[in-house]
Amino acid sequence: MRWPRFFSKKRGHRHTGSREWGSIAEGLFYAALLLGGLIFGGLLVSGVAAYAPADPGRVVLQRGYDWWMWVLTLVIPLALVAFGGSGLGKVIRMWGKSDERRAASAGFPEFLDTLGHPPHEAPGHPGVPACENLVNSPGNVLRYRLPIESPENWTLLGFGMFALLWNAVVVVLAAGAGANIRRGNPDWFLLALLIPFVAVGVGGVILFVRAVVLAASVGPTQVEISDHPLVPGQRYDVLLGQGGSGLFKSIELGLELEEQATFCQGTDTRTERLVVWRDAARSWSRVQAVPGGRFEAHVEITIPDQAMHSFNSPHNSVHWRLVVRGSPDRWPPFTRVFPLVVFPAGRNAGATPHAPQGGKGVE
Amino acid sequence: MMGVSDAGFSPEGSFQAGVSQSFPAPTLRFLLQFDRASRIYEPLESITVRYEVAGAEAASMRALERSILWYTEGKGEEDIGVHFFERIADASDLPQVLPQGFFSNRLPASPLSYEGVIVKVRWCVRLRVFFEAGRDFVSEHVFSLGRIPPIRQATGGGRL
Repeated sequence: MRWPRFFSKKRGHRHTGSREWGSIAEGLFYAALLLGGLIFGGLLVSGVAAYAPADPGRVVLQRGYDWWMWVLTLVIPLALVAFGGSGLGKVIRMWGKSDERRAASAGFPEFLDTLGHPPHEAPGHPGVPACENLVNSPGNVLRYRLPIESPENWTLLGFGMFALLWNAVVVVLAAGAGANIRRGNPDWFLLALLIPFVAVGVGGVILFVRAVVLAASVGPTQVEISDHPLVPGQRYDVLLGQGGSGLFKSIELGLELEEQATFCQGTDTRTERLVVWRDAARSWSRVQAVPGGRFEAHVEITIPDQAMHSFNSPHNSVHWRLVVRGSPDRWPPFTRVFPLVVFPAGRNAGATPHAPQGGKGVE
Repeated sequence: MMGVSDAGFSPEGSFQAGVSQSFPAPTLRFLLQFDRASRIYEPLESITVRYEVAGAEAASMRALERSILWYTEGKGEEDIGVHFFERIADASDLPQVLPQGFFSNRLPASPLSYEGVIVKVRWCVRLRVFFEAGRDFVSEHVFSLGRIPPIRQATGGGRL
């Protein structure tokens, strides 16, 4: 038997680490986890009773566990055994198989490998994401109301979580400092430490409140579309609705194609996004919504004739989306994203193009 | 596997040999012929491939894998989607597929070949021969599914 080489050829003149040695290392890692789990679990189970050295048949100490305590005790070793065992099984099953054979075969271990699972696909269209979640909300005027995918919501959630967790730490520290003061033994170091902690906590709350006020004051954005999924070469009606009582210096509705690639850099996993095509479908300047109402505009969008369809694989994707960018008069600009799914054009495309209903933007 | 007539193949210009990994034999090469000289196929069309493995004794080969698949290229990790896969490892079946043979399959509706900026989708036919010595030899031949122009040539908008 010939030993596998440490380096093998990749594409062109590049070389990469040997797959065989990678699999061996991966197998050893999973085997160590499995072994560790078995030993750890064995020690826990075997340590339930202690026997007298002089009389090995006589129990002198017995640990009294309830069933739930057993569950808690064995959670970690069982997790190690499950993770290590499934990983080792997968390595053994894939050993010596080509990339194509690995990709073509699917078995039990893949159930546990959630990261390697292909994303949810549209029936009959491999690589095209399903759009059930985009068509389950009917619109008031047009056929579907698109769900929002706003980066502001994540910012709001991030500020809220930070303010909550940081101030929880501050409360614990403050309680300790207060107890010391009540006992007449103030801890000056702790009190000095509390000052910057309180300042950061107050700053976190201010940022969170500001983000909430910003989200509430700008008003909700709604986008409705005449059909979904979309097909290249077809035109669709879009209804944009923007709430809010103030003046908007500008509002822009655009159609974008974004590529997204996920890659490993050292020990980090990074995702890069790049908008490779953009069509500013319509823009409006100095928009003032009707008091008690909202700004509404009908726009017609066209998916270019030979455009790429939506594509989704575990590490790479191509997204279509409608993007609303607004500049309120007294608030920072905002961006709100509404995902779309574009199917490939041609035979059995699976989508029913909708006849455009006409209508142009109004201010 | 479907039959194919010679009339469907382009007589010239579509032979191609692609090589990757190691050379178990210095003269080993694949000759592969698509049934369309342009190597551009529409979704749901059939593709037929004729191949010949030259430069090695058929007796030294222990298995052949034939596949039609797409893979991604670009900045992200490589993803792969196998549309058709066939492994012939039975000694009695190998003489029918080595050193020459053909196979045919109906292509899917998607994903279409795509030449993006940081994401690219490529379709290819791969032939992989496994030798008794333990090494394997893979040959990859790219074709296009659909006619999507590179993203720089997209119409109706502008590249950023």
